Amino acid sequence: MARLAPCGRRLLAIAQRLLAIAQRLLTVLLLLFIVLRVLPADPAAPAAEIGATRQQTSLDEALPMQFAIWLGWLVQGDLGHSSHLDRPVAGLLAEALPATVELAILASSVAVLLGVAGGLVLFALQWGGWQGTGGRGTGRRGETRAALAETGTMLLMSIPAFLWALLFILVFGVLLAAMPFTGRLDPGLSHPFITGFLLLDTLLVGDPRAFLSAARHMVLPAVALGIGFAPLVMRVLRASLIEAYQADYILQARLRGLSEEQVLLRHALGHAALPTLGLLRAQCGLLLGAAVLVEVIFAYPGMGRLLVDAMRNTDLSVIQGVVLAYCAVVLSANVLIDGLHLLLNPRPRAR
Amino acid sequence: MADLSRRALLGVLVAVPHSAPSAVQGYPKARDAVTIGWPGDVAGWDPNRRFVPDAQPIYKMLYDQPLDQDPRLNLVPGLAKAWQLAPDARSLEVELRDDVTFHDGTKLTSADFRWTFHERIAAGHEVDTARSWRKVVDIETPSATRAIMRFGSPAPTAPAWLAFLGSFVVPKHYMQKVGLAAFGAHPVGTGPYRLAEHQPGTRIVLERNDAYWGPKPTMRRVTVQIINNPSARAAAIESGNVDLTVAMPVRETARLGHIATLEAELNPITRIILLQVRDDAGFADRNIRLAAHHAIDKQALSQAFYGNAAVPLSVPVIPGSPGFLDDFTFPHDPDMARELLSRSGYSPAQPARIRMATTRGQFPADYDIARAIVGMWKTVGIEAALEVLDYARYFELNRAGRLPEATLYSFDNAIGDPEAYAGYLLAPHQPYSPWKDTALGEKVRGLFDVPGEAERIAGWRALNREAVEIGACMPLLRSVQTLVRRKDLAYRRFGNGWVLPQTMDWI
Repeated sequence: MARLAPCGRRLLAIAQRLLAIAQRLLTVLLLLFIVLRVLPADPAAPAAEIGATRQQTSLDEALPMQFAIWLGWLVQGDLGHSSHLDRPVAGLLAEALPATVELAILASSVAVLLGVAGGLVLFALQWGGWQGTGGRGTGRRGETRAALAETGTMLLMSIPAFLWALLFILVFGVLLAAMPFTGRLDPGLSHPFITGFLLLDTLLVGDPRAFLSAARHMVLPAVALGIGFAPLVMRVLRASLIEAYQADYILQARLRGLSEEQVLLRHALGHAALPTLGLLRAQCGLLLGAAVLVEVIFAYPGMGRLLVDAMRNTDLSVIQGVVLAYCAVVLSANVLIDGLHLLLNPRPRAR
Repeated sequence: MADLSRRALLGVLVAVPHSAPSAVQGYPKARDAVTIGWPGDVAGWDPNRRFVPDAQPIYKMLYDQPLDQDPRLNLVPGLAKAWQLAPDARSLEVELRDDVTFHDGTKLTSADFRWTFHERIAAGHEVDTARSWRKVVDIETPSATRAIMRFGSPAPTAPAWLAFLGSFVVPKHYMQKVGLAAFGAHPVGTGPYRLAEHQPGTRIVLERNDAYWGPKPTMRRVTVQIINNPSARAAAIESGNVDLTVAMPVRETARLGHIATLEAELNPITRIILLQVRDDAGFADRNIRLAAHHAIDKQALSQAFYGNAAVPLSVPVIPGSPGFLDDFTFPHDPDMARELLSRSGYSPAQPARIRMATTRGQFPADYDIARAIVGMWKTVGIEAALEVLDYARYFELNRAGRLPEATLYSFDNAIGDPEAYAGYLLAPHQPYSPWKDTALGEKVRGLFDVPGEAERIAGWRALNREAVEIGACMPLLRSVQTLVRRKDLAYRRFGNGWVLPQTMDWI
């Protein structure tokens, strides 16, 4: 029983977490429902169309009943029909959602790779190397380097993703003509649709040309989106490493005779990864928000692009579906990061 | 080690772009494929459903119309090899080709014609063609290739409408078999291309229909890259991501024209740029409306925003079309504008206040033109609050009768008939007109039913003049299509601005 207790606590924690997610999702649904009812109805629709739409959407029912009916449809996977594109919203999301998730994963990877590398460099500059002089004795040259690095990260942080996107298009797309910057695939190639994740799908169908083309099309949007988040990772990682290197266990690890690389990889980096994960969790929504503009700029067929087109055409069903999908993606990402946090954090595991 | 890293980094930065000179064309450039940068997507694949002028060239790849237009906009045979409008314009007989098949292999017959222009409308399908073909009471099909359209009232422009917005023949059997939703996902037409792929808002890929009844297109594969932003389209053509693109700012078009491999064009087309006006609120007073019109220096607008390529207009039709008036000019006269305003008690010190709407980026320089007009008005004593609308919002407000006093708009008329200009711009019963005055509206309505061609055209010409003289509309400029293409890509230029990949070839 005593051995089961931690497991039970963990199950309880997971259940509480899932309940909290369900609560948030329901709140978003309610807000979305209210906002879309508050918006003025589409006066463009001819009378017959309005009548049909009212019947289809149960707009004649009382509001709570409308909400209940709408929830029922959602549970059945019925997200409505796009009035502009004349297609079911679920089908449109099935195409756009994987594209955005693929972009977000790659952008996060760029942010983490650049962030970790940069964070280590920043830490080394400020801390005077892994041996850690504690900022003392790094000398004037070291201080200058640290200040320059600080200014650099501040600059990187202050440039929004859409500006990176435009800059990359100008430099790598137009001036150097080195990278494609529209869509996901070269015009001569076909888009296989198995999972919707193009990189994966091109591998599944065994088309290396399409895979390379898809990968090249992903580079600029992913870097433009990820590069703005990298400085945050750098700064948090640097601060966490400084904190870690002041802890007793680092000293004990050194006393045990571990090399500086082993101290860094086995102890300090693991400790510093936790706040970084927390940061990624918090930035997840912002990353998807920034993806909207990046997708529009790169004509990338994701949810952001779908949302902007839907707003342009007052396509309420699509707006509703995309917002819901965004919410689901952010919550799912949070759950994943929480899980990762739980795996890496020694404290809850020990309890 | 540090030096090595720096060197390596610099090396990579320098080497990557130069080691991939053909990186943009990551695929071998095929001589039978073309990529077009287009500003907007289709509104679904049912071609009868929505009148979106910019989508017509895309629909024309997948579907055919009973009649077609040549580059000079004359009606020419399409799916129908002959047609005859009755003298009273109450019936139209068409003789369809007998060698046309849909993409699914079934043969086109008069049943499909009847389905498209009568049965599906009568069945209550939500299609815009229900408005354009509202006069159709029946379509007789004496044989598989003959169809006789019967109209409830004279329909003198019926032949032109067979080549106009939304009039694409769709397959009855297939549409009934699979239903509208499935048709939208897997459209079937008779056109020179069939749909291979559609990523909404991003790209459309079409493959040549090798069983096409007409001339076989040279291009085997057409990719339409949807790029909403004009600057992004400019970047796409400049970098070689697309081979041809349209609707860019004029200055950008001129800049691209200086690139050795590109050809830039400013093509006058059948669209007109005008101010649609209301007959109430701040524009209830005719003096204010006329003053507003007199205050606009159209030549200056053309010079500033179109390099003088856009012809100033006095009536809502283009020069050379049947409804045009050679002997009528509405002058730019700021003094007259001030005089008219003073008669109604307004002056620059005490201005008349109105609201004005414009799109931004819907056609070249739209927002800039609107701002210039607001400035011109201010000097004579009209204070206009400018608001920006997107395309969808424009239609919403127009249909609901809630547009402001003046709205800058580019009105499409691919057939150039005067009915398709003033008939829709000034008819209170149509969803395109903010002008709701019934006196003028009744005249417009009557002209729709005049069967005799000479009498009909004379009627529209008189109406165009009257509409301008009472300030019911303010025509500004003939629209100009901006187009940039690779120099080695030839295409057939149409007077209405169609850009058709089936006419393209590499030279």
